[in-house]
Amino acid sequence: MENPEYSSGEGITAGLKIVSYAVNNKGEYELRPDFVWQPVNVVNHQAWLEIDKKITQSRKKVAAGRVSCLHYYMTANQMDTGLLAQYTGQPRWKVFLHLVPLIFNRLSANTLKKYAELYKIAPDDLIKGRLLPPLYNHE
Amino acid sequence: MNSLEEYSLLPDFSHKQSAHCESGVAANLLTHQGLDISEAMAFGIGGGLFFGYLPFIRINGLPLITYRAAAGHILRQIASIPGVSMYQKKFRNRDEAMAELDKALMASIPVGLQTGVFWLPYFPKALRFHFNAHNLVVYGKEGDEYLISDPVFPQPVRCKADDLVRARFASGALAPKGKMYYLTQVPEMLESRQLIIRGIHSVCKMMLSSPFPLIGVKGIRFLSNRLVKWPQRLGRERADLHLGHVVRMQEEIGTGGGGFRFMYAAFLQESAEIMQAPLLYDCASSFTAAGDTWREFAAMAARICKDRARPDDSYPAMAECINRCAAMEETVFAELKQWAKQHS
Repeated sequence: MENPEYSSGEGITAGLKIVSYAVNNKGEYELRPDFVWQPVNVVNHQAWLEIDKKITQSRKKVAAGRVSCLHYYMTANQMDTGLLAQYTGQPRWKVFLHLVPLIFNRLSANTLKKYAELYKIAPDDLIKGRLLPPLYNHE
Repeated sequence: MNSLEEYSLLPDFSHKQSAHCESGVAANLLTHQGLDISEAMAFGIGGGLFFGYLPFIRINGLPLITYRAAAGHILRQIASIPGVSMYQKKFRNRDEAMAELDKALMASIPVGLQTGVFWLPYFPKALRFHFNAHNLVVYGKEGDEYLISDPVFPQPVRCKADDLVRARFASGALAPKGKMYYLTQVPEMLESRQLIIRGIHSVCKMMLSSPFPLIGVKGIRFLSNRLVKWPQRLGRERADLHLGHVVRMQEEIGTGGGGFRFMYAAFLQESAEIMQAPLLYDCASSFTAAGDTWREFAAMAARICKDRARPDDSYPAMAECINRCAAMEETVFAELKQWAKQHS
């Protein structure tokens, strides 16, 4: 087993110091701190690029008025209609309809509150169509 | 100790960082009860190693591939050790779930929870995917914050009640449904020898003699057959995404790229000493070799995903690499199976 080079901790763990199993020079396994294996950074980066791409597409669609701002929040938080439906306790087809701007604009305060609570935003943000950063980017 | 405030002054839990969440939680909980056990050992006797390619379960629209046993398997195995009993409960109601957690904490019981990673604010942003099978231990509460021993973190962390409840009730694949567990009874000593044999036996059974073609060594070969066809079936871009996903599953935190093969090798080394069986030490080396081959595949995959493919990097070459892994693992599992049979 070749031990990969130590990296500066950038990448997948974003500063989190993890431990991994690796053999020492006697051939015995030990838990070694802080070794980041390069390929995983590559694929992790790839996954995020894909998410970012989807978010950008969604922003464009929202701006063009083809979907409601709920579509942006759903995409930015890595959800699809199925997952969003589970989180809000509604059938999937309802969530699907709520992505249509015309229908979204007529949603009841209660339904809006459900979405706002899930994404930790104010119902007003949804009504005004403000596109705030996703949950994991709040800080 | 009557009130929560009083209790929160002395939460005492020996947090030990580990490479993988479930085995880490199992080891930490047992160690807390005075049974000193390493993470690799917990992983081994819990029969944590596995392979499964399950394309009908989707994670972010990509097929589920797992290099370890299903979430909860290690803990179930640990709970079934003679003399150990574990209390386990899932909930429908959020308030009830949190109340029961608080009640256990009041009684100074560290509680294991299954959670969704996406909702845990202390996780680095880059790891916050909708992945619902993360395990952690809550060992105290201070005000509105829970004190958490998350095994993949170097230090204990804190999490607000509101965030924790979201994490406990994450939806989607492998939804935790508020699952909590704690040990209620442990024996004075663990019968390591028997447990090691049992653990090895169960892993061999899964990897070699599963009737289901998608798991075990058969599953590895199945994946390799599928992988060759991805570029034609899905198009280049989607194929690369699928490939990246395989590698991401292979390198869950701390496995060093070997899809848990290195951790299993560490377990076999430790067992070799306990059992006085040099054969296990040799098997450990074979697993290191298998892990290295998995790594070789992952490195090639990463180059392809990054568009920096070398001349001999290709989907067929990767499939060949995976087939080599399958062959290596088949041999070493056969050896282990033989050994376990002799000793049981």
